[in-house]
Amino acid sequence: MIAAGRKVAVVGMGGAFPTCKDLNDFDRKLFAGESMIREWPKALQYPKQIRSTVAGYITEEEMNLEAIHPVPETEWPETYVDHLGRIPDMNLATADLGCVWAMIGALEAIKMAGWTTEETESEQTGVVIASGGGGNVVSRHAWHAFYELGKKTRMAGSHTVDRAMSYREAANVSCLIKNKGVCESIISACATGLGNIGYAYRLIKFGLQDRAICGGVEGTALETFIGFDAMQVLSKGFSPAESSRPFDVKRNGFVCSFGAGIVALEEYEMAKARGADILAVIDEYFNNSDGDGNMFYPSYDGQRRLWRGLMAGGNVKPDVVKVHGTATPVGDIIELVSVVESIGENGYSICAPKSQFGHMLGAAGSVEFITALLMLKNQKVLANKNSDNLNTELENFQQKPGWNGPMKPAAEYRHLISQDIVAKEINQIVCLNYGFGGTNSAMAISRDI
Amino acid sequence: MENSNERKEILDGLLEVLRTVRTIDPARLEGVTEETDFLTDMNTPSTELINIAAKVEQKFDIEFEDEDIDRMGSKVKDVIDLIIMVKERGANK
Repeated sequence: MIAAGRKVAVVGMGGAFPTCKDLNDFDRKLFAGESMIREWPKALQYPKQIRSTVAGYITEEEMNLEAIHPVPETEWPETYVDHLGRIPDMNLATADLGCVWAMIGALEAIKMAGWTTEETESEQTGVVIASGGGGNVVSRHAWHAFYELGKKTRMAGSHTVDRAMSYREAANVSCLIKNKGVCESIISACATGLGNIGYAYRLIKFGLQDRAICGGVEGTALETFIGFDAMQVLSKGFSPAESSRPFDVKRNGFVCSFGAGIVALEEYEMAKARGADILAVIDEYFNNSDGDGNMFYPSYDGQRRLWRGLMAGGNVKPDVVKVHGTATPVGDIIELVSVVESIGENGYSICAPKSQFGHMLGAAGSVEFITALLMLKNQKVLANKNSDNLNTELENFQQKPGWNGPMKPAAEYRHLISQDIVAKEINQIVCLNYGFGGTNSAMAISRDI
Repeated sequence: MENSNERKEILDGLLEVLRTVRTIDPARLEGVTEETDFLTDMNTPSTELINIAAKVEQKFDIEFEDEDIDRMGSKVKDVIDLIIMVKERGANK
Protein backbone atom coordinates (compact mmCIF):
# COMPACT_ATOMS: atom_id res chain seq x y z
CA MET A 1 0.00 0.00 0.00
CA ILE A 2 2.74 2.48 0.93
CA ALA A 3 4.22 4.12 -2.15
CA ALA A 4 7.96 3.54 -2.01
CA GLY A 5 10.09 6.51 -1.08
CA ARG A 6 7.28 8.84 -0.11
CA LYS A 7 7.62 10.76 3.14
CA VAL A 8 5.26 13.34 4.57
CA ALA A 9 6.24 16.77 5.86
CA VAL A 10 4.29 19.23 7.98
CA VAL A 11 4.64 22.63 6.32
CA GLY A 12 1.98 24.85 7.87
CA MET A 13 -0.26 25.32 10.89
CA GLY A 14 -3.00 27.57 12.20
CA GLY A 15 -6.17 27.56 14.23
CA ALA A 16 -8.09 28.98 17.15
CA PHE A 17 -6.87 28.77 20.74
CA PRO A 18 -8.55 29.89 23.99
CA THR A 19 -7.57 33.40 25.13
CA CYS A 20 -5.08 33.71 22.25
CA LYS A 21 -5.31 36.18 19.41
CA ASP A 22 -3.28 33.98 17.07
CA LEU A 23 -0.76 31.14 16.79
CA ASN A 24 2.12 33.33 17.97
CA ASP A 25 0.16 34.27 21.08
CA PHE A 26 -0.57 30.57 21.68
CA ASP A 27 3.14 29.78 21.34
CA ARG A 28 4.05 32.54 23.78
CA LYS A 29 1.47 31.57 26.40
CA LEU A 30 2.33 27.89 26.22
CA PHE A 31 6.01 28.45 26.87
CA ALA A 32 5.34 31.13 29.48
CA GLY A 33 3.45 28.46 31.40
CA GLU A 34 0.18 30.43 31.30
CA SER A 35 -3.22 28.83 31.76
CA MET A 36 -5.85 29.40 29.09
CA ILE A 37 -8.71 28.15 31.27
CA ARG A 38 -11.26 30.58 32.67
CA GLU A 39 -14.56 30.71 34.50
CA TRP A 40 -17.14 30.57 31.72
CA PRO A 41 -19.80 33.31 32.04
CA LYS A 42 -22.14 31.31 29.82
CA ALA A 43 -22.03 28.34 32.21
CA LEU A 44 -22.36 30.62 35.21
CA GLN A 45 -25.74 31.75 33.84
CA TYR A 46 -27.11 28.35 34.87
CA PRO A 47 -25.79 27.93 38.44
CA LYS A 48 -28.45 25.43 39.51
CA GLN A 49 -28.21 23.30 36.38
CA ILE A 50 -24.48 23.06 35.71
CA ARG A 51 -21.92 21.32 37.90
CA SER A 52 -18.64 22.60 36.39
CA THR A 53 -18.17 26.20 35.28
CA VAL A 54 -14.58 26.39 34.01
CA ALA A 55 -13.65 25.98 30.36
CA GLY A 56 -11.16 26.83 27.66
CA TYR A 57 -13.71 28.74 25.63
CA ILE A 58 -13.28 31.22 22.80
CA THR A 59 -15.76 34.02 22.18
CA GLU A 60 -16.69 35.42 18.79
CA GLU A 61 -15.16 38.77 19.75
CA GLU A 62 -11.82 37.15 20.57
CA MET A 63 -11.68 35.84 17.00
CA ASN A 64 -12.75 39.23 15.58
CA LEU A 65 -16.08 37.72 14.58
CA GLU A 66 -19.59 39.00 15.19
CA ALA A 67 -22.60 36.75 15.35
CA ILE A 68 -25.70 38.09 13.62
CA HIS A 69 -28.84 37.28 15.60
CA PRO A 70 -31.95 37.88 13.46
CA VAL A 71 -34.15 37.77 16.54
CA PRO A 72 -32.38 39.70 19.31
CA GLU A 73 -33.68 37.65 22.21
CA THR A 74 -32.32 34.36 20.86
CA GLU A 75 -28.74 33.14 20.82
CA TRP A 76 -29.14 31.61 17.37
CA PRO A 77 -26.40 32.92 15.06
CA GLU A 78 -27.90 33.32 11.60
CA THR A 79 -24.43 34.01 10.27
CA TYR A 80 -21.19 35.74 11.20
CA VAL A 81 -19.36 38.90 10.20
CA ASP A 82 -15.59 38.62 9.95
CA HIS A 83 -14.26 42.01 11.03
CA LEU A 84 -10.82 41.17 9.64
CA GLY A 85 -12.20 40.25 6.23
CA ARG A 86 -10.52 36.84 6.18
CA ILE A 87 -13.56 34.80 5.15
CA PRO A 88 -16.03 35.95 2.43
CA ASP A 89 -19.66 36.43 3.49
CA MET A 90 -20.74 33.66 1.11
CA ASN A 91 -18.63 31.15 3.04
CA LEU A 92 -19.62 32.49 6.45
CA ALA A 93 -23.29 31.89 5.57
CA THR A 94 -22.76 28.14 5.41
CA ALA A 95 -20.59 27.87 8.53
CA ASP A 96 -21.11 27.37 12.22
CA LEU A 97 -18.53 28.83 14.59
CA GLY A 98 -16.20 25.84 14.40
CA CYS A 99 -16.28 25.96 10.60
CA VAL A 100 -15.22 29.61 10.67
CA TRP A 101 -12.26 28.71 12.88
CA ALA A 102 -11.39 25.83 10.56
CA MET A 103 -11.42 28.16 7.54
CA ILE A 104 -9.25 30.74 9.33
CA GLY A 105 -6.84 27.98 10.41
CA ALA A 106 -6.73 26.57 6.88
CA LEU A 107 -5.84 29.96 5.39
CA GLU A 108 -3.11 30.44 8.00
CA ALA A 109 -1.69 26.97 7.35
CA ILE A 110 -1.69 27.49 3.57
CA LYS A 111 -0.03 30.88 3.96
CA MET A 112 2.68 29.37 6.16
CA ALA A 113 3.10 26.48 3.73
CA GLY A 114 3.58 28.92 0.88
CA TRP A 115 1.40 27.00 -1.54
CA THR A 116 0.43 28.76 -4.74
CA THR A 117 -3.22 29.10 -5.72
CA GLU A 118 -2.61 26.46 -8.38
CA GLU A 119 -1.21 24.04 -5.80
CA THR A 120 -4.01 24.71 -3.32
CA GLU A 121 -6.73 24.23 -5.94
CA SER A 122 -5.08 21.13 -7.38
CA GLU A 123 -6.61 17.65 -7.73
CA GLN A 124 -3.66 16.55 -5.61
CA THR A 125 -4.73 18.66 -2.60
CA GLY A 126 -7.15 17.10 -0.11
CA VAL A 127 -9.07 18.37 2.90
CA VAL A 128 -9.55 16.10 5.91
CA ILE A 129 -11.07 17.91 8.89
CA ALA A 130 -13.72 17.05 11.47
CA SER A 131 -15.09 17.86 14.88
CA GLY A 132 -16.08 15.49 17.63
CA GLY A 133 -19.63 16.76 18.03
CA GLY A 134 -22.44 17.85 15.76
CA GLY A 135 -23.40 21.40 14.92
CA ASN A 136 -25.14 21.56 18.28
CA VAL A 137 -25.75 25.30 18.49
CA VAL A 138 -27.41 25.46 15.08
CA SER A 139 -29.38 22.24 15.62
CA ARG A 140 -30.65 23.23 19.05
CA HIS A 141 -32.39 26.33 17.79
CA ALA A 142 -33.74 24.65 14.68
CA TRP A 143 -35.32 21.89 16.73
CA HIS A 144 -36.61 24.30 19.36
CA ALA A 145 -38.35 26.44 16.70
CA PHE A 146 -40.01 23.34 15.25
CA TYR A 147 -40.89 21.27 18.30
CA GLU A 148 -41.42 23.80 21.05
CA LEU A 149 -42.57 26.88 19.14
CA GLY A 150 -44.49 25.01 16.44
CA LYS A 151 -42.82 26.95 13.62
CA LYS A 152 -42.58 25.77 10.06
CA THR A 153 -39.36 24.05 9.09
CA ARG A 154 -38.30 27.02 6.99
CA MET A 155 -37.94 29.12 10.16
CA ALA A 156 -34.81 27.08 10.83
CA GLY A 157 -33.39 28.59 7.67
CA SER A 158 -31.95 26.84 4.67
CA HIS A 159 -28.48 26.42 6.19
CA THR A 160 -29.26 24.07 9.04
CA VAL A 161 -27.92 21.10 7.10
CA ASP A 162 -24.66 22.59 5.84
CA ARG A 163 -23.98 24.27 9.20
CA ALA A 164 -24.69 21.17 11.28
CA MET A 165 -23.77 18.14 9.16
CA SER A 166 -21.03 15.86 10.39
CA TYR A 167 -18.40 16.90 7.88
CA ARG A 168 -19.29 20.57 7.79
CA GLU A 169 -15.74 21.75 8.62
CA ALA A 170 -14.18 19.84 5.73
CA ALA A 171 -16.95 20.96 3.38
CA ASN A 172 -16.62 24.62 4.33
CA VAL A 173 -12.84 24.61 4.06
CA SER A 174 -12.97 22.85 0.71
CA CYS A 175 -15.51 25.35 -0.66
CA LEU A 176 -13.27 28.18 0.56
CA ILE A 177 -9.93 26.98 -0.81
CA LYS A 178 -11.43 25.24 -3.88
CA ASN A 179 -9.23 22.15 -3.73
CA LYS A 180 -10.12 19.42 -6.21
CA GLY A 181 -8.80 16.41 -4.30
CA VAL A 182 -10.58 14.50 -1.55
CA CYS A 183 -12.82 16.21 0.99
CA GLU A 184 -13.62 13.95 3.94
CA SER A 185 -13.96 13.76 7.70
CA ILE A 186 -12.70 11.12 10.10
CA ILE A 187 -14.78 11.27 13.24
CA SER A 188 -13.50 9.39 16.29
CA ALA A 189 -14.52 11.34 19.40
CA CYS A 190 -11.50 12.79 21.19
CA ALA A 191 -9.08 11.08 18.80
CA THR A 192 -10.64 13.04 15.90
CA GLY A 193 -7.97 15.72 15.64
CA LEU A 194 -5.05 13.31 15.38
CA GLY A 195 -7.13 10.82 13.38
CA ASN A 196 -7.72 13.34 10.60
CA ILE A 197 -4.04 14.19 10.43
CA GLY A 198 -3.25 10.47 10.40
CA TYR A 199 -5.67 9.79 7.57
CA ALA A 200 -4.30 12.72 5.57
CA TYR A 201 -0.78 11.42 6.20
CA ARG A 202 -1.79 8.06 4.75
CA LEU A 203 -3.34 9.71 1.68
CA ILE A 204 0.01 11.30 0.91
CA LYS A 205 2.16 8.38 2.03
CA PHE A 206 0.11 5.99 -0.12
CA GLY A 207 0.46 8.25 -3.15
CA LEU A 208 -3.20 9.29 -3.37
CA GLN A 209 -2.61 13.00 -2.70
CA ASP A 210 0.43 15.29 -2.63
CA ARG A 211 -0.92 17.84 -0.16
CA ALA A 212 -3.58 17.99 2.53
CA ILE A 213 -5.19 20.48 4.87
CA CYS A 214 -6.20 18.53 7.93
CA GLY A 215 -7.02 18.65 11.62
CA GLY A 216 -9.78 18.86 14.18
CA VAL A 217 -12.19 21.45 15.50
CA GLU A 218 -14.58 21.91 18.41
CA GLY A 219 -16.55 25.15 18.29
CA THR A 220 -17.53 26.79 21.56
CA ALA A 221 -20.93 25.37 22.50
CA LEU A 222 -22.59 25.13 25.87
CA GLU A 223 -24.73 22.47 24.22
CA THR A 224 -21.61 20.29 23.92
CA PHE A 225 -20.44 21.09 27.44
CA ILE A 226 -23.79 20.05 28.93
CA GLY A 227 -23.40 16.44 27.82
CA PHE A 228 -20.06 16.03 29.58
CA ASP A 229 -21.24 17.94 32.64
CA ALA A 230 -24.15 15.50 32.86
CA MET A 231 -21.67 12.61 32.99
CA GLN A 232 -19.95 14.29 35.96
CA VAL A 233 -16.57 13.83 34.28
CA LEU A 234 -15.58 17.50 34.39
CA SER A 235 -13.15 19.03 36.87
CA LYS A 236 -14.69 20.74 39.86
CA GLY A 237 -13.48 22.44 43.00
CA PHE A 238 -10.30 24.18 41.81
CA SER A 239 -9.49 27.68 40.59
CA PRO A 240 -9.60 27.88 36.76
CA ALA A 241 -5.80 27.72 36.33
CA GLU A 242 -5.61 24.75 38.70
CA SER A 243 -8.57 22.85 37.28
CA SER A 244 -6.77 20.75 34.69
CA ARG A 245 -4.33 18.57 36.64
CA PRO A 246 -3.12 15.54 34.67
CA PHE A 247 -1.44 12.89 36.84
CA ASP A 248 -2.03 14.81 40.07
CA VAL A 249 -3.43 12.69 42.88
CA LYS A 250 -6.30 15.15 43.40
CA ARG A 251 -7.41 15.21 39.75
CA ASN A 252 -11.16 14.73 39.46
CA GLY A 253 -12.02 15.26 35.81
CA PHE A 254 -11.14 17.14 32.65
CA VAL A 255 -11.75 20.75 31.69
CA CYS A 256 -14.03 21.00 28.66
CA SER A 257 -12.44 23.27 26.08
CA PHE A 258 -12.84 24.41 22.53
CA GLY A 259 -10.54 25.31 19.66
CA ALA A 260 -9.21 24.37 16.26
CA GLY A 261 -5.93 22.98 15.04
CA ILE A 262 -5.30 22.87 11.29
CA VAL A 263 -2.05 21.76 9.64
CA ALA A 264 -0.77 21.58 6.08
CA LEU A 265 0.90 18.33 5.01
CA GLU A 266 2.93 17.83 1.84
CA GLU A 267 4.90 15.07 0.23
CA TYR A 268 8.40 15.57 1.61
CA GLU A 269 10.44 15.72 -1.61
CA MET A 270 8.01 18.16 -3.20
CA ALA A 271 8.13 20.41 -0.16
CA LYS A 272 11.91 20.18 -0.03
CA ALA A 273 12.26 20.91 -3.75
CA ARG A 274 10.36 24.17 -3.50
CA GLY A 275 12.31 25.25 -0.42
CA ALA A 276 9.47 24.97 2.08
CA ASP A 277 10.09 25.38 5.78
CA ILE A 278 9.66 21.83 7.10
CA LEU A 279 8.11 22.05 10.55
CA ALA A 280 8.34 18.29 11.10
CA VAL A 281 8.45 14.98 9.29
CA ILE A 282 5.84 12.36 10.14
CA ASP A 283 7.67 9.11 10.91
CA GLU A 284 4.75 6.82 11.68
CA TYR A 285 1.02 6.77 12.34
CA PHE A 286 -0.88 3.90 13.87
CA ASN A 287 -4.39 3.53 15.24
CA ASN A 288 -6.47 0.71 16.66
CA SER A 289 -9.37 -0.17 18.97
CA ASP A 290 -9.48 -1.54 22.48
CA GLY A 291 -11.66 -4.46 21.42
CA ASP A 292 -12.93 -5.01 24.96
CA GLY A 293 -16.51 -3.90 24.42
CA ASN A 294 -16.20 -0.98 26.83
CA MET A 295 -17.29 2.43 25.55
CA PHE A 296 -15.51 4.54 28.16
CA TYR A 297 -12.92 2.72 30.27
CA PRO A 298 -9.36 3.08 28.92
CA SER A 299 -7.61 -0.14 27.93
CA TYR A 300 -4.06 -0.97 28.94
CA ASP A 301 -4.03 -3.80 26.42
CA GLY A 302 -5.32 -1.49 23.65
CA GLN A 303 -2.65 1.12 24.38
CA ARG A 304 0.13 -1.47 24.57
CA ARG A 305 -0.94 -2.77 21.14
CA LEU A 306 -1.03 0.84 19.92
CA TRP A 307 2.63 1.28 20.89
CA ARG A 308 3.63 -2.02 19.32
CA GLY A 309 1.98 -0.97 16.08
CA LEU A 310 3.62 2.45 16.14
CA MET A 311 7.06 0.97 16.80
CA ALA A 312 6.82 -1.89 14.32
CA GLY A 313 9.02 -0.06 11.83
CA GLY A 314 11.86 0.27 14.33
CA ASN A 315 12.16 4.04 13.91
CA VAL A 316 10.43 5.27 17.05
CA LYS A 317 12.52 6.39 20.02
CA PRO A 318 10.93 9.58 21.29
CA ASP A 319 12.50 12.32 23.34
CA VAL A 320 9.02 13.47 24.35
CA VAL A 321 5.72 11.63 24.66
CA LYS A 322 2.84 14.07 24.29
CA VAL A 323 0.15 12.15 26.14
CA HIS A 324 -3.65 12.41 25.97
CA GLY A 325 -3.54 13.13 29.75
CA THR A 326 -7.07 14.39 30.36
CA ALA A 327 -6.88 14.45 34.20
CA THR A 328 -9.59 11.84 34.65
CA PRO A 329 -9.06 9.52 37.62
CA VAL A 330 -8.29 6.27 35.75
CA GLY A 331 -7.17 7.37 32.28
CA ASP A 332 -3.97 9.21 33.17
CA ILE A 333 -2.28 6.41 35.05
CA ILE A 334 -3.28 3.65 32.63
CA GLU A 335 -1.73 5.80 29.92
CA LEU A 336 1.37 6.45 32.04
CA VAL A 337 2.06 2.78 32.74
CA SER A 338 1.38 1.80 29.13
CA VAL A 339 4.00 4.36 28.04
CA VAL A 340 6.68 3.15 30.49
CA GLU A 341 5.97 -0.50 29.75
CA SER A 342 6.34 0.24 26.02
CA ILE A 343 9.45 2.45 25.92
CA GLY A 344 11.02 2.12 29.36
CA GLU A 345 11.33 4.29 32.43
CA ASN A 346 14.08 6.65 31.31
CA GLY A 347 15.38 8.71 28.43
CA TYR A 348 12.32 10.78 27.55
CA SER A 349 9.87 13.32 28.96
CA ILE A 350 6.12 13.11 29.28
CA CYS A 351 4.04 16.17 28.43
CA ALA A 352 0.31 16.67 29.05
CA PRO A 353 -0.53 20.04 27.42
CA LYS A 354 -4.18 19.81 28.51
CA SER A 355 -2.89 21.08 31.85
CA GLN A 356 -2.73 24.55 30.26
CA PHE A 357 -5.79 24.64 28.00
CA GLY A 358 -8.03 21.73 28.90
CA HIS A 359 -9.55 19.07 26.68
CA MET A 360 -10.61 20.37 23.26
CA LEU A 361 -12.51 17.17 22.39
CA GLY A 362 -12.49 16.84 18.59
CA ALA A 363 -9.76 19.48 18.36
CA ALA A 364 -7.61 17.99 21.13
CA GLY A 365 -5.45 15.80 18.91
CA SER A 366 -4.69 18.46 16.33
CA VAL A 367 -4.14 21.37 18.71
CA GLU A 368 -1.87 19.15 20.80
CA PHE A 369 -0.13 18.11 17.56
CA ILE A 370 0.56 21.83 17.08
CA THR A 371 1.98 22.00 20.63
CA ALA A 372 4.30 19.16 19.59
CA LEU A 373 5.39 21.13 16.51
CA LEU A 374 6.08 24.11 18.77
CA MET A 375 8.08 21.93 21.18
CA LEU A 376 10.19 20.78 18.23
CA LYS A 377 10.68 24.38 17.13
CA ASN A 378 11.49 25.74 20.60
CA GLN A 379 13.42 22.66 21.77
CA LYS A 380 11.55 22.79 25.06
CA VAL A 381 9.14 20.37 26.71
CA LEU A 382 5.97 21.99 28.02
CA ALA A 383 5.28 21.78 31.74
CA ASN A 384 2.78 19.41 33.31
CA LYS A 385 1.03 22.14 35.24
CA ASN A 386 -0.75 21.19 38.45
CA SER A 387 0.78 17.71 38.62
CA ASP A 388 1.71 18.69 42.16
CA ASN A 389 1.54 15.34 43.88
CA LEU A 390 1.66 11.93 42.27
CA ASN A 391 0.06 8.97 43.98
CA THR A 392 2.53 7.09 46.17
CA GLU A 393 0.21 4.10 46.31
CA LEU A 394 -0.91 1.70 43.63
CA GLU A 395 -4.07 2.56 41.71
CA ASN A 396 -7.13 0.36 42.27
CA PHE A 397 -6.79 -1.16 38.81
CA GLN A 398 -3.23 -2.24 39.62
CA GLN A 399 -4.49 -4.21 42.60
CA LYS A 400 -7.17 -6.13 40.76
CA PRO A 401 -6.67 -9.82 39.89
CA GLY A 402 -5.47 -10.24 36.33
CA TRP A 403 -3.54 -6.93 36.13
CA ASN A 404 -0.37 -7.67 34.18
CA GLY A 405 1.14 -4.20 33.90
CA PRO A 406 3.69 -2.30 35.98
CA MET A 407 3.33 -2.59 39.76
CA LYS A 408 4.73 0.80 40.61
CA PRO A 409 2.71 3.84 41.73
CA ALA A 410 2.66 7.03 39.67
CA ALA A 411 5.09 8.75 42.07
CA GLU A 412 7.83 6.39 40.86
CA TYR A 413 7.68 8.17 37.48
CA ARG A 414 8.05 11.73 38.78
CA HIS A 415 11.30 12.10 36.84
CA LEU A 416 9.35 11.76 33.57
CA ILE A 417 6.64 14.28 34.51
CA SER A 418 8.15 17.71 35.03
CA GLN A 419 6.10 20.51 36.52
CA ASP A 420 8.39 22.99 34.82
CA ILE A 421 9.39 23.60 31.21
CA VAL A 422 12.42 21.49 30.28
CA ALA A 423 14.94 22.73 27.71
CA LYS A 424 16.58 19.78 25.98
CA GLU A 425 17.41 18.37 22.57
CA ILE A 426 14.18 17.13 21.03
CA ASN A 427 14.44 15.16 17.82
CA GLN A 428 11.31 13.04 17.98
CA ILE A 429 7.91 13.37 19.68
CA VAL A 430 5.15 10.79 19.91
CA CYS A 431 1.59 12.14 20.10
CA LEU A 432 -1.15 10.03 21.70
CA ASN A 433 -4.92 10.54 21.71
CA TYR A 434 -7.86 8.30 22.57
CA GLY A 435 -11.61 8.53 22.28
CA PHE A 436 -14.89 7.10 23.52
CA GLY A 437 -15.57 3.78 21.88
CA GLY A 438 -12.06 2.57 22.62
CA THR A 439 -10.35 4.25 19.67
CA ASN A 440 -6.60 4.93 19.99
CA SER A 441 -4.27 6.99 17.77
CA ALA A 442 -0.52 7.52 17.84
CA MET A 443 1.81 9.52 15.63
CA ALA A 444 5.57 10.02 15.72
CA ILE A 445 7.08 13.20 14.27
CA SER A 446 10.69 14.32 13.94
CA ARG A 447 12.75 17.39 13.28
CA ASP A 448 13.96 17.66 9.70
CA ILE A 449 17.72 17.47 10.24
CA MET B 1 -55.95 47.33 -3.00
CA GLU B 2 -52.96 46.72 -5.16
CA ASN B 3 -51.37 49.89 -6.55
CA SER B 4 -47.97 51.12 -7.66
CA ASN B 5 -47.28 52.78 -4.30
CA GLU B 6 -48.00 49.57 -2.48
CA ARG B 7 -45.73 47.63 -4.83
CA LYS B 8 -42.98 50.22 -4.34
CA GLU B 9 -43.30 49.96 -0.55
CA ILE B 10 -43.10 46.19 -0.73
CA LEU B 11 -40.08 46.37 -3.03
CA ASP B 12 -38.34 48.69 -0.55
CA GLY B 13 -39.15 46.30 2.29
CA LEU B 14 -37.95 43.37 0.21
CA LEU B 15 -34.67 45.14 -0.46
CA GLU B 16 -34.24 45.64 3.28
CA VAL B 17 -34.66 41.89 3.68
CA LEU B 18 -32.25 41.12 0.87
CA ARG B 19 -29.57 43.34 2.42
CA THR B 20 -29.53 40.96 5.41
CA VAL B 21 -28.96 37.92 3.19
CA ARG B 22 -25.22 37.53 3.21
CA THR B 23 -25.06 35.14 0.30
CA ILE B 24 -26.21 37.95 -1.99
CA ASP B 25 -23.50 40.31 -3.17
CA PRO B 26 -24.62 43.82 -2.05
CA ALA B 27 -23.44 45.19 -5.40
CA ARG B 28 -26.13 43.13 -7.12
CA LEU B 29 -28.83 44.92 -5.13
CA GLU B 30 -28.14 48.18 -6.96
CA GLY B 31 -30.83 48.92 -9.53
CA VAL B 32 -33.08 46.00 -8.62
CA THR B 33 -36.45 46.13 -10.40
CA GLU B 34 -39.48 43.88 -10.37
CA GLU B 35 -38.03 42.08 -13.38
CA THR B 36 -34.81 41.21 -11.59
CA ASP B 37 -34.36 37.47 -11.19
CA PHE B 38 -32.97 36.18 -7.90
CA LEU B 39 -31.21 33.25 -9.49
CA THR B 40 -29.86 34.61 -12.76
CA ASP B 41 -29.44 38.33 -12.01
CA MET B 42 -28.56 38.32 -8.30
CA ASN B 43 -26.74 34.99 -8.45
CA THR B 44 -28.61 33.91 -5.31
CA PRO B 45 -28.10 30.25 -4.36
CA SER B 46 -31.40 28.46 -4.94
CA THR B 47 -31.32 27.18 -1.37
CA GLU B 48 -31.41 30.79 -0.20
CA LEU B 49 -34.91 31.45 -1.57
CA ILE B 50 -36.49 29.69 1.40
CA ASN B 51 -34.47 31.90 3.75
CA ILE B 52 -35.74 34.94 1.88
CA ALA B 53 -39.30 33.66 2.16
CA ALA B 54 -38.94 33.14 5.92
CA LYS B 55 -37.48 36.62 6.37
CA VAL B 56 -40.27 38.13 4.23
CA GLU B 57 -42.84 36.47 6.50
CA GLN B 58 -41.30 38.18 9.52
CA LYS B 59 -40.84 41.51 7.76
CA PHE B 60 -44.42 41.75 6.48
CA ASP B 61 -46.07 39.85 9.33
CA ILE B 62 -47.61 37.27 7.05
CA GLU B 63 -47.47 33.49 6.77
CA PHE B 64 -47.15 31.68 3.47
CA GLU B 65 -48.69 28.30 2.89
CA ASP B 66 -46.21 25.70 1.74
CA GLU B 67 -47.99 25.65 -1.63
CA ASP B 68 -47.47 29.40 -2.00
CA ILE B 69 -43.74 28.92 -1.80
CA ASP B 70 -43.81 25.88 -4.05
CA ARG B 71 -45.43 28.05 -6.75
CA MET B 72 -43.27 31.13 -6.16
CA GLY B 73 -41.25 32.22 -9.16
CA SER B 74 -37.70 33.49 -9.00
CA LYS B 75 -38.31 37.10 -10.04
CA VAL B 76 -38.77 40.00 -7.63
CA LYS B 77 -42.27 40.62 -9.01
CA ASP B 78 -43.23 37.03 -8.17
CA VAL B 79 -42.40 37.63 -4.52
CA ILE B 80 -44.26 40.96 -4.50
CA ASP B 81 -47.31 39.32 -6.09
CA LEU B 82 -47.20 36.60 -3.49
CA ILE B 83 -46.94 39.05 -0.59
CA ILE B 84 -49.93 41.03 -1.90
CA MET B 85 -51.95 37.84 -2.45
CA VAL B 86 -51.24 36.53 1.03
CA LYS B 87 -52.04 39.88 2.63
CA GLU B 88 -55.37 40.02 0.79
CA ARG B 89 -56.09 36.42 1.71
CA GLY B 90 -55.52 37.32 5.34
CA ALA B 91 -57.73 40.38 5.09
CA ASN B 92 -60.61 38.34 3.60
CA LYS B 93 -60.56 35.74 6.37
